[in-house]
Amino acid sequence: MRFSVEAWNRKLHYYLGLYFLFFLWLFSLTGLLLNHPRWALAQTSFQRTETRYETPIELPRGETDLARAHDVMGQLNLRGEIDWPAAGQKPGRFEFNVSRPNDASTIEVDLVRKRAAVRHFDNHPWAAFRIFHTFSGSRYNAPAATRDWALTTVWTLSMDALAAGLVIMVLGSYYMWYRLKPKRRLGAAMLAAGFAACGSFLAALI
Amino acid sequence: MRFKGFYTWTRDLHLYLGLFVSPFILLFAASVFFLNHAKVAVDLATSEQTVQDVQIPGVGDGPQNMERVASAKKLLDQLRVTGEIGFVQYQRKERRLVIPVSKPGLETKITVDLDTRSASISRRTTGFWEALAYLHKMPGPHNAAIRGNWIGTRAWQWFADGTIYLILFITVSGLYLWFSLRAERRIGVMLLAAGAVSFIGAINAILR
Repeated sequence: MRFSVEAWNRKLHYYLGLYFLFFLWLFSLTGLLLNHPRWALAQTSFQRTETRYETPIELPRGETDLARAHDVMGQLNLRGEIDWPAAGQKPGRFEFNVSRPNDASTIEVDLVRKRAAVRHFDNHPWAAFRIFHTFSGSRYNAPAATRDWALTTVWTLSMDALAAGLVIMVLGSYYMWYRLKPKRRLGAAMLAAGFAACGSFLAALI
Repeated sequence: MRFKGFYTWTRDLHLYLGLFVSPFILLFAASVFFLNHAKVAVDLATSEQTVQDVQIPGVGDGPQNMERVASAKKLLDQLRVTGEIGFVQYQRKERRLVIPVSKPGLETKITVDLDTRSASISRRTTGFWEALAYLHKMPGPHNAAIRGNWIGTRAWQWFADGTIYLILFITVSGLYLWFSLRAERRIGVMLLAAGAVSFIGAINAILR
């Protein structure tokens, strides 16, 4: 069987599109929710219920703050991505936040009294849906924020894979279009219009 | 014959609308890598400027709303600053106003001393990738009551929304076009199922 770039490029276009379909729908629909916070559905996606409790705790063990936070999370049966207070730790206290798309907790451990005060937030299912769009454990404008939960890394890799898949699909689609001689002229006009709209917009704003 | 006409129309629309929206898809896709992996020192200003004798608009304490933004814009006009106002903060104790203003490629922070009527303008120029990431995130969910207070943000919202609607059309039309190809159905269903399993598996692992 002869290897044909054209045939394999077309297959790759279908296959990537089908594999990433659900990821693409999630990021498209959550993109709309993020861009329209005044929509009723988007308002629902900001709802969450709060519960507070205090509980005795063993002194957190570990060499690093991260290890100690994991120890506390194990005792409190919490999972998720850890976020540290911007101001740093106060003497006699150990504080951090832990979050997932469906819930988040603020934990304040009193190291002297050996008690943990927890504010726990359960997000509305639409909120969880929305948060998946931005759940990367990293913010480019917060250099101290790093990923520390394996599942955040998995989700971030999914986002990267989708982005890479889209780039491959777009570049492959240019090749497919170019091979269709009767479609070249109108296709070139549409592509030029797209680049002109995007490019001029970028140029005007930047 | 009717089926063929529908198929041909769908295929052509998929092609032409896909070509039109492709630069926007590339922009959103490329900026994902920056958003997920880059780190930027945002506290390093590239220029500082002080302007004296500014006319102070009547911006007091209160909720973020368009009225407050309209007053702040009078200040921005005096200082020749353009862009999306992030918020307008009145710091009662220090007697000053803080107004962050941003647009792709430039972040500006205006701090107005209400007693001396002087404004300090701190600017940070961002690189190309950060500008793309800014567009990726705009208009976004924060401070909804005042978002879109700059014409650039409002115009970009049309493009961002249009990109999403066109992607939805392209995915649905793509499904139809694939399903029309009998030879690709079996492997296509397998890949669709593999994608669904990966998607549900990842979400379930994170939420459980």
